[in-house]
Amino acid sequence: MRRRSGSLGCRMSRLSGKGWFNDLMNIHFRSVWFRAVAFTFMWWMLTAGSVNSWLVGAPVVLVATLISMVLVPPFSCSVVGSVRFVPFFIWHSLRGGADVAWRAFHPKMPIAPGLVEFPLRLPPGMSRVFMVNTVSLLPGTLSVELGANRLKVHVLDTRKNVLSELIRLEQIIAKMFNTSLQDAKGDECNEEI
Amino acid sequence: MTPIDFISSALLIAGGVFFLAGTVGLLRFPDVYTRLHALTKGDNVGLGLVIAGLAVQVQSWFTVGKLLMIWVLVMLASASISHLIARRALLRGIKPWKR
Repeated sequence: MRRRSGSLGCRMSRLSGKGWFNDLMNIHFRSVWFRAVAFTFMWWMLTAGSVNSWLVGAPVVLVATLISMVLVPPFSCSVVGSVRFVPFFIWHSLRGGADVAWRAFHPKMPIAPGLVEFPLRLPPGMSRVFMVNTVSLLPGTLSVELGANRLKVHVLDTRKNVLSELIRLEQIIAKMFNTSLQDAKGDECNEEI
Repeated sequence: MTPIDFISSALLIAGGVFFLAGTVGLLRFPDVYTRLHALTKGDNVGLGLVIAGLAVQVQSWFTVGKLLMIWVLVMLASASISHLIARRALLRGIKPWKR
């Protein structure tokens, strides 16, 4: 009992110290730098490396970084996860396009649409918004409504098993945003990510 | 005709086919939700292929970057807007078409 309270006290003191503050500043500083570099790169690309354009470009990059920090709070994002996401996304959007094209051109139009409720396990925030946008570009699914802990998805062909594909997408997005999937009740899921 | 020209025209024609499929789906599909399916996915792939077809032809990397940026921005816009249209349709009580 004593030992336990000791460890609790230790944790409390660490919480009341500067640890959490440093963590907070770290993620803020990192995302400010990352976004500033990204906007600089974009400007450099749009102006094809013209030196004179930086007279306008430098203030624009500064203002864009500040506005993006206000509008989109910093989130953590894994580089490896994002790089892995790209081929997955390209392959599945090609499949999605081919699928819908086939259904559109087919004389009998083989569709059996319907609404499906998908229980979301991603934490609220950027990763959910990303999920909503990606679902619409993947084969046979269109995100219709984002509820508290579920996503209403319109499915082009209810005979296909889209739930397993959505679960897979959710896992990949969780890896990309360095988050873990949680149960609808809010408990930690036993699945290791 | 160089191999680059050949690859480029193949990609451009394939992109055109996907745009056509998106439009055919828009005209043939029965309700707002299924039409959004055709538009978002067909046009996303169509634009991606057209941009790939143009990117193999250009001389400078800056242009490749610009083309890729166009694709990403269009994709972002079409995904968010299709979600907003579908959500509004559902809130207004438009029932999904059933076979």
